[in-house]
Amino acid sequence: MNSKIPEIKLSEEQTGKWGMVIDQDICTGCQACVAACAMENNLSFVGEVDAGYGRSMHWIRIERFWEGEYPEVKMTPGQPMMCQQCGSAPCEPVCPAFATVHSQAEQLNLQVYNRCVGTRYCANNCPYQVRSFNWRDYVRPEPLPNQLNPDVTVRRMGVMEKCTFCIQRIHKAEDKAKSEGRELTDGEFTTACAQACPANAITFGRIDQPESLVSQLIRKHGHGVKHLEELGTLPSVTYFKGG
Amino acid sequence: MFKRLFDWLRQPLGLIAVGIVLLTVFSLAAYGIFLTQQSSAQPIQFPHRTHVGFGIQCLYCHPGAARGPSAGIPSQAKCWGCHQQIAKTQTSALLAPLKQAVESGTPIQWVPVAMVPDFVQFNHRAHVAAGQNCEDCHGDMTLVTIAENPQVFNMGWCLDCHRKAAGEDEAKLLKLADCGTCHY
Repeated sequence: MNSKIPEIKLSEEQTGKWGMVIDQDICTGCQACVAACAMENNLSFVGEVDAGYGRSMHWIRIERFWEGEYPEVKMTPGQPMMCQQCGSAPCEPVCPAFATVHSQAEQLNLQVYNRCVGTRYCANNCPYQVRSFNWRDYVRPEPLPNQLNPDVTVRRMGVMEKCTFCIQRIHKAEDKAKSEGRELTDGEFTTACAQACPANAITFGRIDQPESLVSQLIRKHGHGVKHLEELGTLPSVTYFKGG
Repeated sequence: MFKRLFDWLRQPLGLIAVGIVLLTVFSLAAYGIFLTQQSSAQPIQFPHRTHVGFGIQCLYCHPGAARGPSAGIPSQAKCWGCHQQIAKTQTSALLAPLKQAVESGTPIQWVPVAMVPDFVQFNHRAHVAAGQNCEDCHGDMTLVTIAENPQVFNMGWCLDCHRKAAGEDEAKLLKLADCGTCHY
């Protein structure tokens, strides 16, 4: 049988709407983005027992790798890893409940909590391993519930969750711009991780607008890397390293 | 055995027993339905009907509806703005909780009536800006004392209106029928 593996096309032109640029050379790996994300998006604290099972819930994590042979090991720059908001996401077609769907309006991968039945197929099919599952209803001791973000759903046991590119902030900024009768301007708002980054390593904005800061950064650096692009996932996050 | 029971039920006493049982079941069912139709217990039997009758706009007490996600329930200070000039407020038993709340400075614990689940992110401003009137969703407040929901806020009902609002506009339909517009 003469079957050819179809040639994988890499996307030179990004088709998405919202995108992120991460400069690994200035990332210090301080984890401020991880903390900010947890605060913004009402993430649960799973405790040490569940964390030991690898069930800790973070929508963004700092990946560390080592180069070289012991004892000449060298740590690579910090690599913040969150949902890459793939243009062709492996998580989407496997969901039997259509809970992880592609937003046509915002060009993001959505996780619809009220549809999710907790099969966890999406997390198993995610090449970036950025989805986390609510294994329990984790308790927030008083006064922690007071810091919950009212714009974000508090997830319950049995649903999958992941980075949304702070869609609540997108909606809030769009709503504000609309109420003032103008277009949304670049840099008017940003995601919680980008806002918290003390080194400004994370930049968020429109990648479909050539004048936006992210588009300019991608053009300026010229050697941006998209992780696991060879899988054809069309990620929206571009990484710079060794500039 | 069944024949004996049947014969017993056919005599006058049996028929009366059957009647009593049927009447009891019917009354319980009617009472159950009556309970589901009651508005929630509020600290004050707030007469929406009267206030709307005076010509007060919805947005005077619920100004958040024009500005942001939540319409808001007015604090006792807002009630007091008008009510302190009304002599009846001092003597009325119905308004005693308001007087007490203002004097002690503790907020009145209203029970929200129009609620959507936690996984729905609803924004009043967008709907008011799109030309929706309050009564389109919340019903005619000139007819009720305590606010009631004539409409169950379910997704089919939301989407029905969203589809109609989008009409032939494809881009608008994509936005208004997108999961991420309300669920995140």
